[in-house]
Amino acid sequence: MSKIFGIKVWVLLLAIALSITVFIGWKLSRDDVVRAPEDIEDYLFWQARELTEFKLAGADNKTLGLSDLKGKWSFFFFGYTHCPDVCPVTLATLGKAFRILEKDAAIAPEIQGVFVSVDPGRDTPELLKEYAAYFNKHFIGVTGTTAELEAFSRQMSALYTIHPKEPGKPDNTYLVSHNSTLFLVDPQGRVHGRFPPPQDPQEIADAFVKIRAFYNERSKKRWGIF
Amino acid sequence: MGNFLRLFGLLALGLAASSTFAGEAEIQVADPWVQAAPPSAKVLAAYLEIKNNGEKPQTLAEITSPVFGQVEIHRTTTRGNIARMEHLKELVIPPRSSVAIKPGGMHLMLMGGKNPLRAGDQVPMTLIFKNGEKIAISAAVRSMQEEDAGNSQHADHSKHQHH
Repeated sequence: MSKIFGIKVWVLLLAIALSITVFIGWKLSRDDVVRAPEDIEDYLFWQARELTEFKLAGADNKTLGLSDLKGKWSFFFFGYTHCPDVCPVTLATLGKAFRILEKDAAIAPEIQGVFVSVDPGRDTPELLKEYAAYFNKHFIGVTGTTAELEAFSRQMSALYTIHPKEPGKPDNTYLVSHNSTLFLVDPQGRVHGRFPPPQDPQEIADAFVKIRAFYNERSKKRWGIF
Repeated sequence: MGNFLRLFGLLALGLAASSTFAGEAEIQVADPWVQAAPPSAKVLAAYLEIKNNGEKPQTLAEITSPVFGQVEIHRTTTRGNIARMEHLKELVIPPRSSVAIKPGGMHLMLMGGKNPLRAGDQVPMTLIFKNGEKIAISAAVRSMQEEDAGNSQHADHSKHQHH
């Protein structure tokens, strides 16, 4: 008698365990297709892409690698300092967006700006440090060898081209084409979103606040049951 | 009599001067400014607006500045988010219209700076047109950062008044 009852309990327990597993599985899979709020959808990649290890050179013999991105939101811009129009305008725009965001004490320590010069022929890490910090004291400037830059910019889909100089002009007068999008990397080191030109400081700040809130909400949901 | 003549001459000169302004010069340049950049920047961009009041197209052929080795007209084109600069040999301003040289579009590329420039500094330049006309201008270096600081202060003030 007690044996039959025992089987019933077991079956019941098994059924409960099974339904909990199915429910968690369903919940997790459903979370994966949770759509971003419509007003930030345009800034987000359909699926955040994991970056693989990279190495870029900063001033004072420091390097920037994947581990430096973990735990922070990083805004990347690819350009060069012999660029008097797009680069200062974009960096000043990002600088303004940072000044808006830094008013929030929770956000301020979580954001960093990285200016990647794709012109190592003219831009040294020391020069880039000063150049980037001019727009915001928390911006850093990095560059690398041609191979390092090509590998990293390919990961970010930030194409660039160094053009031959015009005939008869000095060697250092060549022009560079570059992607003028601002790329957003999330605290897990994944390319999460982007702000294509033309950018506006308030628009970037507003969108980022929503992107971060959505990300935090999803991270919480993912590990809780409800 | 000599004094009278001199006075008459001055009057005539004054009239002539005022009539050139009132009757609109053929080519006018408005709002010249230079985008401030970090001291390490080797090149700067100048912006302005050129107005052609005449019935014939005018061509900006050359720009000189005593504080820069070379000044060129450049155009930024952004296609598929890729920004590309190109060097324009000259810039045609169609009759009865104006051309704005502004951020994200065209800029005067200032190269070979003789001294680092800071916000508030003036950059003298001469625009030379194909018809031989030369227009001397002075462009102030303007920092977008300071502009922003000023704006946000205003915004804060209005907020305080609002509450």
